[in-house]
Amino acid sequence: MSLKSPRRRRTVGVVGSLAAAALLLSACSSSPESGEAGESTITVFNGSTGTITENFNPFSSTALQPTNGVVFESLYWYNAAQDEDPVPVLATAFEWNEEGTELTITTREGVTWSDGEDFTAEDVAFTFNLVAETPELNTTGLSAVAEATDENTVVLTFEEQSFMQEPSVLGNRGIVPEHIWKDVADPITEVNSSPVGTGPYTVESFSPQSYLLTKNENYWEEGKPAIDQVRYISLENADSASAALLAGDIDWMSSFLPGLEQLLADNEQLSYVNTPALTTSIFTCSNPELGCEGPQTDAAVRQALYYGIDREQLNNLAGGGFASPASPTMILPERDARWIGDSANSEVPSGAEVDQAEQILEDAGWTEGSDGIREKDGERLSLTIQTVSGWSDYISLNDAMTQQLAEIGVELNPVQLSWNEWNNNQTLGQFQLSLDSIGLQPSNNPYFTYNRWYASTQTVPVGESASAGNAARYSNPIVDEAVLTAGATSDEAVQAEQYAIIQGEIVRDMPYIPIYVNSMLTEFSTENAVGWPSNDDPYALAAAWKSWDNGVILKTITPAE
Amino acid sequence: MRYVLQKIVFYIVAFWAALTLNFVLPRLMPGNPVDIMLSKLAQRGPVTPETRQAIELLLGTDSQQPILDQYVQYMGQVLTGNLGISVTFFPAPVSQVISQTLPWTIGLIGISTVISFLLGVGLGQLAGWKRGSWLDNVIPVTTMFQSVPYFWLALILVFLLGSVWQIFPINGGYDVWETSPGWNAGFIGSVIYHGTLPALTIVLSSIGGWMLGMRNMMVSTLSEDYIVTAEAKGLRPRRIMTTYAARNAVLPSVAGFAISLGFVVAGSIVTEAVFSYPGIGSALLQAVGSNDYALMQGIFLVITLSVLGANLLVDLLYSLIDPRTRARA
Repeated sequence: MSLKSPRRRRTVGVVGSLAAAALLLSACSSSPESGEAGESTITVFNGSTGTITENFNPFSSTALQPTNGVVFESLYWYNAAQDEDPVPVLATAFEWNEEGTELTITTREGVTWSDGEDFTAEDVAFTFNLVAETPELNTTGLSAVAEATDENTVVLTFEEQSFMQEPSVLGNRGIVPEHIWKDVADPITEVNSSPVGTGPYTVESFSPQSYLLTKNENYWEEGKPAIDQVRYISLENADSASAALLAGDIDWMSSFLPGLEQLLADNEQLSYVNTPALTTSIFTCSNPELGCEGPQTDAAVRQALYYGIDREQLNNLAGGGFASPASPTMILPERDARWIGDSANSEVPSGAEVDQAEQILEDAGWTEGSDGIREKDGERLSLTIQTVSGWSDYISLNDAMTQQLAEIGVELNPVQLSWNEWNNNQTLGQFQLSLDSIGLQPSNNPYFTYNRWYASTQTVPVGESASAGNAARYSNPIVDEAVLTAGATSDEAVQAEQYAIIQGEIVRDMPYIPIYVNSMLTEFSTENAVGWPSNDDPYALAAAWKSWDNGVILKTITPAE
Repeated sequence: MRYVLQKIVFYIVAFWAALTLNFVLPRLMPGNPVDIMLSKLAQRGPVTPETRQAIELLLGTDSQQPILDQYVQYMGQVLTGNLGISVTFFPAPVSQVISQTLPWTIGLIGISTVISFLLGVGLGQLAGWKRGSWLDNVIPVTTMFQSVPYFWLALILVFLLGSVWQIFPINGGYDVWETSPGWNAGFIGSVIYHGTLPALTIVLSSIGGWMLGMRNMMVSTLSEDYIVTAEAKGLRPRRIMTTYAARNAVLPSVAGFAISLGFVVAGSIVTEAVFSYPGIGSALLQAVGSNDYALMQGIFLVITLSVLGANLLVDLLYSLIDPRTRARA
């Protein structure tokens, strides 16, 4: 099968006549690079399907993905792929006052907007004030007043202690030019067709099927970016994306491709990087006080599930062998090693520990029933686990776990639902077990993971919507207090102490049962560009859909010789 | 005229019923747009608890509003042509999404349905006229193509003609790398080139039914007395075939054609999924995936309108080509 071919290209205007036959012929002819000598272009598939709607508004939740990071930049960049300090982008320094209510930011000098105007601290102040004053845009709960005290200094004054606002302020907010946005009538519905930003690329052309970004000639970082143009396209599904990758139509995409090793062996120009960042876990509706029902409300059952599954087998059957070990503390064992208080909690067991699981169940009073399934007070140890139909790896996980857990006398009933129903059940708490994942927060500080998934403040009784939060309905005053204490300081030693307390609690209670850190595979073609992140040097989170990291990668890669 | 008026009143009532269904059905689905948008955002990056409030304000979803008020508001909006704002494509209005996608669907599926009908009816007419010719042997082949599941046939053709031999592109509506949309030769040629393979799959998979139906109707029509009369009068065979036999034999096919025209919009989902074609079917899939009530209602409205419109058209056309339907029994 010869799938290696140069991208079918055709020059506009070569065709003189309208005759369809002539058009067809010309469409078949390939003339790579014609008419654009020396121009380097790469094509990205970032997961968008169907029709694309124009939206380059960096404040909008439905903005096109390259808006943030590629067209607009933040003050700092938080690398989710490695444990490192925030990388300065539009700012060069920041400092908190002691109380955590005042953040002083020094902005970078010598940056110009893509329309040629100078970037100043005024723009930064304007951006944050606009967000704070517009509740529809304030997705991070920012309550601060920003003031530019001089050309290069901005001071954000918060209403309360806000150390934990740091990553969303510095790393998750695209700075817009005041001279343009002060005239925007409605920043909520603005689609910002020809955006003026500081990022390495600007928008060249847009159509509902594809859009093209072109190099920002005014970019502040000397000699960057090296690639002239970046095209984003829309494809229906992973199948058509992988076909397009093999045909050389796509240079960068993120998708789990079955038989990846073989594809790479057959196609020299392809490479990949695996950046596991999300912990695939069994979410349990754990708290009977908030209305959860079923055997999983017993912590012993959750512990037994934790020990009863054979993760090595699961990785081979469902993870394609690309998954890496998780930590029962729910942070990444390698990247976040310094935050794990007790090294015993560093990694999950890799094989099934059947004896231990059975012992836990016996001690808790779950005895074997006549059909081999354990029971307690007449209640069978039978659990329903939900996942989304079409998520083939999760479905395989459920099937394999059903067999593994039968060994310890637990009956697992997998159900597949539509995405909407699965999501609805989970946010409303109307589930027993559910497969989902945990990870990727504003920064690598575990505060965000613990606050969002474990704090009582993020949960509500069953029947109410706990969207994007503590779906397990976990509520533990010790954890709540530790989260509060950790959030009230910027002293990492104090934080680590508090996290150790939290970890002790959640490793025992196990409201979310970690399986493994799922693979996050990204495939590249080195035909048009080189310098992509690799498994040896994952300098940024390479996923094609990841907003801020995309900008860093696009300005790092260089044209292939 | 009375006949026409009756028909039109009937269609207005049917339209109202369809609108009401359009309103009710999406709201029976689990979940709500805010939760879904949040969960989708959470899959792509950090979502803080404060995000929820912002999204609620942004989408203006006031779920507390009584359902009856929502219904009245919806009916009013439809009648004034305002289909609302899409949640999936916020802040794009639904009418913009539809106007971006509908031409692709009508262009591809509509034209290939018409081609398939004309080709099928034409070949069927010939096959019925010259029974026992080689055309009779083509019919089983075409019905086989029809019996093969459509998506499978399409995938096989994509694999063979797109991947192995690389005659046709495998996805998209046009060459996004080299052309830009507009009335220029490059773009139009690219659209034709990209549309050929999907159109081929549609024609291949639907032509058999038209051929078979037309051929069999021809055969039974040809044994009617008036055909014998026409032959006895010494009319030219070509005139007998077209004006005497085919005109009568095509009636059931025309009715079938109306229905299939109506399903052009609704039936496009699979084709568009296989070929990553930028039509309305994929927009509907996305709308359903995000509980985007406004967009779903808008697309359902288009489907309803096209089904009703096609039927009305054929009803009226029928009264022209078959005078018997006008007379009251």
